[in-house]
Formats: sequence, structure tokens, C-alpha cells
Amino acid sequence: MKSINDNDIRSFVDAVSSFFFHITREKVEIRAAYLVEGEIQASTFDLTSYITLSGDFSGRVYFSAPRVMVAHLLLAMHEPDRGDERLLDAVGEIANTISGNARKHFGESMQISVPVAQVTGAGWLNTAVSPHSYVILVKWKQYRASVVVDIQRTA
Amino acid sequence: MNKNNEQSIFARYRKIILAVILFMVADSLVIGINFYNTYKADESAISINLSGRQRMLSQRMAKVLLLLQRGLDANVETSIVRSQKDVDLPIDLYNAPANVIHNLQELDETAKLFSTTLKGFRDGDTVTGGDGHPAFLPKVETETSRQIVADADTIWGPYSELLQPLLGEKRNFSVAQLEEAVTYAQENNLKILRLMNDLTTDLEVVANKRASTLRIVLVIGIIVAFINFSYTVVISIRDLMSGDKKLAESRNENAEILATVHEGLFLLSKDKKLGTQFSESLPRMLHMDIVPGMDFMPILQNMVSPEVYESAVDYIELLLGERVKESLVTSLNPLTNVPVNMLDKFGAVQNRYLSFFFNRALVKGVISHVLVTVQDVTDKVLLMQQIEQAKSKTKIEVESLLRLAGSDFPSLQQFIDNTGRSLSQINEKLSQPQEDERARLHTLNYIMRLIHGIKGEAAILGIDVLENYAHESEQELVAMRESGHGLNGEQMLRVAVLLEGFYERYSSLSAIVSRLSEALGTKRTPPAEGAEDTEQTESARDASQTQTLTPGQPVQAQHPFAGQIAALAQRIAADHGKQVEISCQLEGFASLPPHVIQELQSISIQLVRNALTHGIETPGERAERNKPVPGALGIWCKYLGNDNYDFSVRDDGRGIVPERLRNHLVKSGRMSMAEASALSDTEIAKLIFQPGVSSAAVPDKDAGHGVGLDAVMEKVKAIHGRMQVRSRPDTFTEFHVQFSAAG
Repeated sequence: MKSINDNDIRSFVDAVSSFFFHITREKVEIRAAYLVEGEIQASTFDLTSYITLSGDFSGRVYFSAPRVMVAHLLLAMHEPDRGDERLLDAVGEIANTISGNARKHFGESMQISVPVAQVTGAGWLNTAVSPHSYVILVKWKQYRASVVVDIQRTA
Repeated sequence: MNKNNEQSIFARYRKIILAVILFMVADSLVIGINFYNTYKADESAISINLSGRQRMLSQRMAKVLLLLQRGLDANVETSIVRSQKDVDLPIDLYNAPANVIHNLQELDETAKLFSTTLKGFRDGDTVTGGDGHPAFLPKVETETSRQIVADADTIWGPYSELLQPLLGEKRNFSVAQLEEAVTYAQENNLKILRLMNDLTTDLEVVANKRASTLRIVLVIGIIVAFINFSYTVVISIRDLMSGDKKLAESRNENAEILATVHEGLFLLSKDKKLGTQFSESLPRMLHMDIVPGMDFMPILQNMVSPEVYESAVDYIELLLGERVKESLVTSLNPLTNVPVNMLDKFGAVQNRYLSFFFNRALVKGVISHVLVTVQDVTDKVLLMQQIEQAKSKTKIEVESLLRLAGSDFPSLQQFIDNTGRSLSQINEKLSQPQEDERARLHTLNYIMRLIHGIKGEAAILGIDVLENYAHESEQELVAMRESGHGLNGEQMLRVAVLLEGFYERYSSLSAIVSRLSEALGTKRTPPAEGAEDTEQTESARDASQTQTLTPGQPVQAQHPFAGQIAALAQRIAADHGKQVEISCQLEGFASLPPHVIQELQSISIQLVRNALTHGIETPGERAERNKPVPGALGIWCKYLGNDNYDFSVRDDGRGIVPERLRNHLVKSGRMSMAEASALSDTEIAKLIFQPGVSSAAVPDKDAGHGVGLDAVMEKVKAIHGRMQVRSRPDTFTEFHVQFSAAG
């Protein structure tokens, strides 16, 4: 069983980067990339969206960001409504972009669920599928967000 | 084969061929009969025409005779009859008027024509035709005509006799003879006329019968021809329909096969174009739309590597050529289990494996096409790869297990602990966002040192799987550092992936060590007989455990590390084609605090690597320099008193050559020639402890990445030691680490 490689992971990060660039003409930058074992603490930030992968792959890809960052994003989108629902919609859209890029990168062999977005308070944990999940900390303007890649090949 | 083919064609079209032959025979027959009847009709026309002329001639003869008689009467007073008082005397025609002569001549011609024509009717002969030209007059055929001609002959015989004196150039007749002829003519003229009329009528009847026969023959011929044509058409249509049906069935079967078969099938023409028919799976397999007549080679070129493509071009040329036997070149097929790049419907690059098989298609023994069969063997190849990986993994695990089973178990446990700690430290460092370039470079060097440490420890324990992976990772990190900017975002991602690779291997190793631990129990099994090193190990341990160190009384027993470092040194020397004699004396080593031992081990591993890579020359070089072929490598730990120790590694190799280092620094772009020249030899030599500085011409697994001495210095600092270097070009290099066991 072959592990996913950095190109695979980058496809998810690139999706986030493209999303921000498309809206704000500013790319996100990778500030750190490391591993977490066992449980995913995407709760570092307030809002989290994820897609679930199956087929030749299994696991989830998360995007988590602080509320203020998503609100700033909505501001850049000239979106007057910056309530929780709209904020979750925005992180959901980012997960959707990740999904599209993943489909393009991995091809037909990857099956992807509809994105799920939720408020993730402190202490929110989710059990990881893979032994080690990748956490990629990204920076947009002065904010930090994370892309967590918890997938492994099943075929 | 040709004969069989012809027989097969005749059998298939037998009925049509026979129908055509029958048509031709019937047609020829009708044409023959028609021709014959036409000929006969011509003859009938002549006969009827001449029969009619006989009527006219008989009347003209009678008229001429009467005119002659009247002409003579009119000239009774003339000289021609005046001198001829007697009617029996020949008439003097010398002075006869022109009309008499004309009438005589006309009688002459008419009688002659009548006579020959009548004879022609009787016997068949060439006579003067109606147009004055000779024409063949067939003898009459019917009994009636023959009787008429016979009757006419009967009348004409005496008539002709009576006319004889009046005919010819020397005609000589008397009035009496003329009158006799006139009288006969008058008596028989109507009879002859009637007979000739009857003859004409009878001839017309014959001609009509013949015309009727011709019509019947023509009608029959047309009917036969029509029937034959209809039969031919029916047979042809039936055969064509049958052929079409078979063709359609065959085509349907082909289509069914091509729609069902999983393989991609198509014919390749001699100009390497795809045929008109191909299996439905082919476009799916090649991930592209296929159009008949497409060039195959560009399709292939886009899918496979340039090397494979070139080989494939040669192979297909060989197959299409007549010179080489197919069976001889099959094994050369470069397109089996070949990796191909294709875009799927989402535009993503798909790595698949395809096999292309080629078979010549022969027509009459000549290559017409090449049948190409394409199989998607991705699953098979991946399965084979997985099996290979599993085999390899199992082999590595078994080898590791065997090697580890023979290793010093506490060292192994120590290695597991150390490695786990190093990996955690790397991950911890990675998780800290690096804001500036200097911090990122610092992080990179930090990670490199930790990985270098893992590599060294893995090498000393012979854990190839981690040593090799650490080396590969180190190479990548060196390349990142060469970029000069430290870790950027993408590189951080890459390092995280490398770290995951470490964790994977580390987990497997941990599991093996755990299993070993369970198998061996908490205590080491007794050493095997004759296992000298192990005995030494045990005795050293015992010594370290039982002896109490006092200043001036170092531990004399050897630490197991002595054997391990010697073995590593011999392996590295062998890898570099060098020979080395190792002297290792680790006085008091076993009684040092564990963290000091660990650091000293790492230091010595790196220094030994460096000594064997950069220092000790090849046997050839050493011989040229009049040195003993085996290099000398010393590793010593000396107790200096008051808890102070001197740990040193010495080799009798090339030494540190400042000029060489200077050149290397300039070449690698780390400093300008002016800067390098401005530094003293000592200052230059000190630079070897900086990250990224190496004097190795070609980096390899053991040294040359500029990581080692940087890491060594870190470790010297970790034990609060002091590093000294002594060296003489082409003579020796000696590293001394002086430290206190008290910390």
C-alpha cells in the first residue's frame, strides 16, 4: 500500500490557495507542515469544513480557520452577511474547492462526499484514519488556518 | 491455395455461370435461326421479284411479237417485203425500219431472260436480277411451284422453239414463222401469265410461312431469353442476398466480438494507421477518441516514455518487415507492462500499465496488417508490485530481525528511544512556524543534524532500512539547503512527508524490536559459545556495573561500541575500495553517563566516516605515496584524571589541506577567491565545522554533504566538550574531544 506523497497533499493546499487567490488576489502561504498522531485537533480554529474520501483512498481532508479570518474573507467578497451560517457556508465552499481539486488530481479512483462545515470549539477532536495526519499551517494576511490531510490509500 | 480459391468461386457462382452460358447458347441459336431465315427471306424476295418479272416478260414477249407482226404488215409495200412475195421466204431485215429491229432485239432479251429465269426456278441458278446484277435464284421448293414451273416449261418449250428463228444476231425468219409464233403466243400467253401468277403467289405463301416461322422463333427466343434473364436475376439476387446475409451475420458477429471483448483490438496497416474496425474497449483503454485511419505512432508517443517509444518504433518496423520471423522478435516487444500516462475525464493524469501484443496478419503469405491487442494490466502490475513490495518488506524485516537478533539489545533499545526522540524533535520543530529565512535555515540544519544522527546510529547497528532512508532524506535536504533560502512552504511539506517515511520505518522497526524483546525476555540470552565479542560485551557490562571509578583508575574493559565502530569502519572502507587497520581502545567508555556515550558514539561514527571517505587514500594512492597499503585508523578514549577524558579519532590519510578547502569554498560559491585568500590556513580549516562545508569531491552515503562536522560540533557542545583538530597534509588528521564526565 503506497502512502500519499507531497504532490497529493499539495493538491489540497493548492485548492485553498487558489480559492483565496481567486477572491482576494492574495495566495495563502505554507508556514509549517508537521504530523499529528491519532487524533486531529482541528479545533485549533473556530470553523472547520471537511470532505470524506473513499474508493482507492479513505479518510478526510479538513480546512479549519478562525472566525475572524473567514469574516475577513467575506468582507473581501463584499458579503454583507457575516453571521455564523454564512461563515460556515464560506468554509464549506473552501472544502468544495478542495474536493474539486482532489477529483482533478486523483481522478476517477477517488470518491468524495459532500462537504461538511461545523463550528469547532476548543477540545473538538476527531479520530484519525491514518497513523499520522499531515497538518499544514497556512497564512493569509495576518491569519493562520490549517489544512489537515488524514487520508491513506486503501488500494 | 489459388486453385482452391478458384474452385470455391466457381462453386459459389455455379448457378449464375450456368445461367449465363445457357443465355449465350439460346441467344446464339436464335441469332443463327434469325440469320438463316433472313437469308431465306432474301432468297424469297428474289424469287418473288423474279417471278413477277416472268409475268411481265411473258406479256412483253407477246406484245413484241404482235408489234413485229404489225410492223411487218405496215411495211408490206416496202422493200423488205416487196421483194419477198412468198410468206415462207425469210424476211430481209437489212432494210427493216428501226422499230422492227428494236422490237426484235427486245424480243431477244426478253425471251432469253424469261428462259434463264424459268430455268433458275427449275434448277436454281445465277440469273440477272431485277437490278440488272447477277443474283442467285434458288430452285422452287414446294410441289406446287415445281408443278407450275413444269407446266410453264411445257408451254415454254414449243414457244421457245417457235421463237428461235427470230432470235440472235443471225436471226432469219419468214412471215409465216412469225405468224406461227404470234399465234402460239396468243394461244398460250394467258396460260403462262396465269402460271407465273400462280408461281408468284406460291412463292409469296412460302415467304410468308418463313416470315411467320421467323417471328415464332424470335418470340420463342425472346421468351427463352427473358426466362433465362429472369432466372439469372433471381439466382443472382438470391445469391447476393444470401451473401449479404452471411456478410451481415459475419459483420454482426465481428461487431459483437468487438463490443464484448475486454482487450483493445485493432489492425495496424503497413503505414502504421489504425484500421476501420476496432474493439469498443479500445477508446476507453487509451482514454481517447479513436478515428479509423488515425496514425498509431503519435498516439503511442504521447503515452509512453521516449525510450520505450523508440524501441517500439524499431519493433513495429521489424514486425512489418518480411525479413524477420515473428516468433524470433516477439520477446523483443518493449510494450508489455508499460507504464502510460493518460488523462481521465476530470483531466487528471492517470498512471496506468498497458500491454500491447502484435501479431502479423498474412494474406497469401504476405503481411497485410499487424493485429494489435491492448490489455490494461494495471491491476496485475500493481498486484505484482505489491507482492514484490511485500516480499521486499518481509525480506527486510526478516533480515533486520536476524541482524537485530544478533545485536546488542540495549543498544537497539537505545536506538529506538533515540530515534523516536529525534523524530519527535523534528516534528516539533516543523510545527513551529518559521517567519524569516534565517530561522528556516536554522530549522533545516537542525533537522539535518538529527537525521544525520539517526543515519549514524542506524549504520552502527546495521539497520540498513533506516540508514538508507536517512541518507536519501539527507540528500534531499542538502539540495534544499543548496537553494540557500532554508525551508520554503513546499519544502516544509516535503520534509513532513519525509518525516512520515521515517515514522513508517521506525514503526516497523519498533514492532520488530518489541517482538524481539518478547522473544528474548527482559534479560539477554546467554552468549553463544565462541562469540568473543559478545563475551567482551558482557564482561564490559559487568565491569561497568561492578567497578567503582576513581580518578586514575579508568575502566579497562571494552565497550560493545568498540566492536560496532570497528565493523562499521571495515564496511565503509570496503564500500570505498580501501583497506584499513583499526585500533580501538575505549578506556573508561563504559562507565560514562549514557547521554555522553551516545554523543561520543555519534561523534565517532561521523569522524570515522570522514576519515575513511576524505582521509585514508585508496591502496593505489597510498602505494604512490610510499605509505602502507592499509590505512591506520585509531579510536581512543583516554582517561585524563579528575573525570576528564580525551576522545580522539586519528587517521594517517591525506590530512586537511587548506588550499583544497579554499578552492572548494570558492567553487561552491560560499566565498570569493579574495575572501578565501584573506583567511589563514587555520581559519580555513575551522570552516569545516560549518554546515554545508565539505571537501569531498563526490558526496556519498558516508560523507560529503557538509552535515557531519556540523553535527559533531553540536554534540561536542551537548557534552560541554572542546574540540581540537590536528592535521598535516598527506600525513594525518586527528580530532580530539576533551570533556568531563561530571558534565
